[in-house]
Amino acid sequence: MDGSVIRALALSCLAVAVPFGAAAHQLVVFASVECAAVTVEAKFSNGRVTQQGDVRVLDGENNLLTTLQLGRDGTATVPLDSVDHSGGLVIEVDTGSHDNYWIVTPEDIARKCGS
Amino acid sequence: MKQHFIAVSLATLIAATPAVSHYGMIIPSDPMISQEDGRSVALTMSFSHPFEVDGMMLETPVSFSVTHEGTTTDLLGSLQSATVMDEQGYTLDYRLERPGTYIFAMEPQPYWEPAEDAFIIHYTKTYVTAYGDDEGWDTELGLKTEIVPLSKPFGLWEHNVFQGIVKLDGAAVPYAEVEVEFLNDRAGATAPDELMITQTVKADANGVFTYAPPSDGWWGFAALNTADYTLTEEGSGEEKAVELGAVIWVHFEEWTGQ
Repeated sequence: MDGSVIRALALSCLAVAVPFGAAAHQLVVFASVECAAVTVEAKFSNGRVTQQGDVRVLDGENNLLTTLQLGRDGTATVPLDSVDHSGGLVIEVDTGSHDNYWIVTPEDIARKCGS
Repeated sequence: MKQHFIAVSLATLIAATPAVSHYGMIIPSDPMISQEDGRSVALTMSFSHPFEVDGMMLETPVSFSVTHEGTTTDLLGSLQSATVMDEQGYTLDYRLERPGTYIFAMEPQPYWEPAEDAFIIHYTKTYVTAYGDDEGWDTELGLKTEIVPLSKPFGLWEHNVFQGIVKLDGAAVPYAEVEVEFLNDRAGATAPDELMITQTVKADANGVFTYAPPSDGWWGFAALNTADYTLTEEGSGEEKAVELGAVIWVHFEEWTGQ
């Protein structure tokens, strides 16, 4: 499954779940790959770190793989050997009042892992 | 013979009319890159008359850099030679590794403009935001001369005002003159009078200027000042004035309402 399919799936899912994402300040979610793990970062658009929230990790077919908690520093770590990432990952962060997502494509992982 | 003389005179007059302004240009493929857009931005650099889509040669810049989260990275060696508006320009595909605002800036070589009997140096920049994070949109780079945005320099609707402070050597320039021009590469806009090709506004006593464009698209703002130094013109060996331009390119989005 390539990144575009993951994006389509994630977007279609989120379009139902999040009809209005435009609050006064939005949640910015980003995930970087360091081969062994994905580091999830969340902050509000006003620059404040998101200090709590649920992190849901889904595969490319929108199946929930695992759930984590954001740390006080607004980050969470997803070890890649703990999830099936062959089809990419969708990382959702939900604070209760705001939510957003980041898509980790297979290309993102391959680029960092050299495979 | 007399008719021929008149025709030549008119042609000379038209060609000599300084109706348009020179602009350094950095135009991104998109000023707001979302994760669905990919992981990079494509930049096109040129020196031109943007309303008339009339290119001029852009020599290899003195510097080309990107600033993100307070770190400036030299990208001069990554520029790719390209033809832009039928003249020498440059392109660059730049990977956006993290969210935030990326400011691309270029210092060109001094351009000798015989018609103005002066050199022109346009310090040119544009702001690109990545992945929904606009932090850093008001960053001041500390260029020799610079327009520091007071309006977020992306995500503006057409007809919104754009405000900025004109700075020279870090200080606001009272009543600075700012020329504004539209990149007319797709819209096919026509000017009823050539005075309307380049719009001109002045800053206030604090160096703050305001402009509201009539349409969506890329608009260039060039604040012009005369340098406190001269450069030697090779042909004559004479010292010539230097026009310093603080140029910022801002994209306005089409209003989607009724």
